[in-house]
Amino acid sequence: MLLSAILVAIISTVCNWWPSHLITRSWLYPIWSGFLVALAMGEPMIGMQAAAYINLAYLGWITAGGTMPGNLPVAAVFGTAMTILSGADPSLAVTFAVPFSLFGILTFQLTMSINALWVHRAEKFLDNGNIRAMRLMNYVPSGILNFLVTGVPAFILVYFGAEPMKNLLNMIPDSFVNAMQVVGAIMPALGIAMLISFMGNKKIMPFFFFGFILAVYLKLDVMAVTAVAAIMGFVFYNTGFLDMKPAGKEQS
Amino acid sequence: MEAKLTRKELLKNWALTYSSETAYNYERLQALGQANAMVPVIRKLYPEDKERQVQELKKYFVFYNTEPSFIGTMIPGVAAAMEEQRANGAEDITDETINSLRTGLMGPIAGIGDTVSQGIVYPILAGIACSLAIDGSYVGPIFFEIAYKICLIGFGWNMYRLGYQKGKSFILTMLREGTIARLTEIFSMVGLMVVGCMTASRVNIEIPMILNIKGVKLGIQEQVIDALMPGLVPLAITMLVYWLVRKKVNINLIILIIFVLGISLSYLGVLGIPK
Repeated sequence: MLLSAILVAIISTVCNWWPSHLITRSWLYPIWSGFLVALAMGEPMIGMQAAAYINLAYLGWITAGGTMPGNLPVAAVFGTAMTILSGADPSLAVTFAVPFSLFGILTFQLTMSINALWVHRAEKFLDNGNIRAMRLMNYVPSGILNFLVTGVPAFILVYFGAEPMKNLLNMIPDSFVNAMQVVGAIMPALGIAMLISFMGNKKIMPFFFFGFILAVYLKLDVMAVTAVAAIMGFVFYNTGFLDMKPAGKEQS
Repeated sequence: MEAKLTRKELLKNWALTYSSETAYNYERLQALGQANAMVPVIRKLYPEDKERQVQELKKYFVFYNTEPSFIGTMIPGVAAAMEEQRANGAEDITDETINSLRTGLMGPIAGIGDTVSQGIVYPILAGIACSLAIDGSYVGPIFFEIAYKICLIGFGWNMYRLGYQKGKSFILTMLREGTIARLTEIFSMVGLMVVGCMTASRVNIEIPMILNIKGVKLGIQEQVIDALMPGLVPLAITMLVYWLVRKKVNINLIILIIFVLGISLSYLGVLGIPK
């Protein structure tokens, strides 16, 4: 358990610290970071399925402009770990993950606020001609900070959590499990809604329904819909179709 | 002597821009990471002059925020090209020229970058990977990791190169002619079709109620909704949530509403997941 706890703490730290997005960009997403946790805890199959259920609930969640509506990596790491520890059915993972995604908002706010200090330190180092120290300021303090706020809690959960988690699970009745599955099935609607409001405007909104109809009536899967959309996009780009303005009306 | 950036510095500069969010913070967002990324470029251009290096790096400490991984790599590409011209005596390029261009580009580029990465690449790949994983296949997460990184590096490096080679004039022309706006809109259209499709396949919920009218059983889902429009329930729920998001209702409050309504409607037998 000690080794697992240490590994999970490292995963938790790295997927919030993002030392290089060449590696860590995909660690934001539960399907990968949760799978790493599953490997670290020696339960690859259950953990992977838990991670997948968590990820589906957060499909379409976006973090644009320095905002974090719910902390996906924290939800992924803690949710997957709790599912494994409690021995629950993987489809319950969402229930465990959501409260932690809220805890993750706190850790995100905390690091985003405190990290500003290192920028000032870095600037001072640069003024003194110490470029190397300036660069270290980008990595070292933010790494330590993330270890403290997300790594240590993950370690505590995995190291001490097994018994309490099992007890917690035994208290959950079956009807509540069904209810949680319903909640988990509604959650993707929120991600989709966030994406629509990020990308959509009046002019292109009909294409959302077009994609929906292709799936519902023609039973096309997502790759087929993407292919259709890409061809349309290509034609629209060349013809300037979407740039056209309605006749006799000022486009805002 | 002419100072010329080689492939080595460009690769380093590109790779280091991926540290943009390492010390991500509210005050200047990705500034420190950008400064860190420019170090190899500046060192190469002013190899002997430490003071000049410091002076050139200082300008990268201004507020900076964009989508840094897929499309946003274009901006350090342009910056590297401008630094190179400046080191070779292009005196019309000042600190302000470089920074105003970077600042002007970061918004529109983030628009395309977030749409491509979070509106298209992520939902498609994660959707496929999760289905595989839930069916018990280890291919799921491994496929996600590999396919995602191929997209990230493919986009990221080529956009960086585009920025470096075509330089600022090309990008300014793109901005002026509205090409960036048009691309954003087209990528958004593609993304909307993808999420439209996902509404049908991912919001996996139905109304399992069975009405008993004078001894005749009427299954709401099979006999009424599926006949009218399969997927009506997911669409209605998604539109409802969308309406809340549009009303700027706090996301955590929406989650709470989903929990409360989902649990109570499940207990009442109104909502259920398909068997």
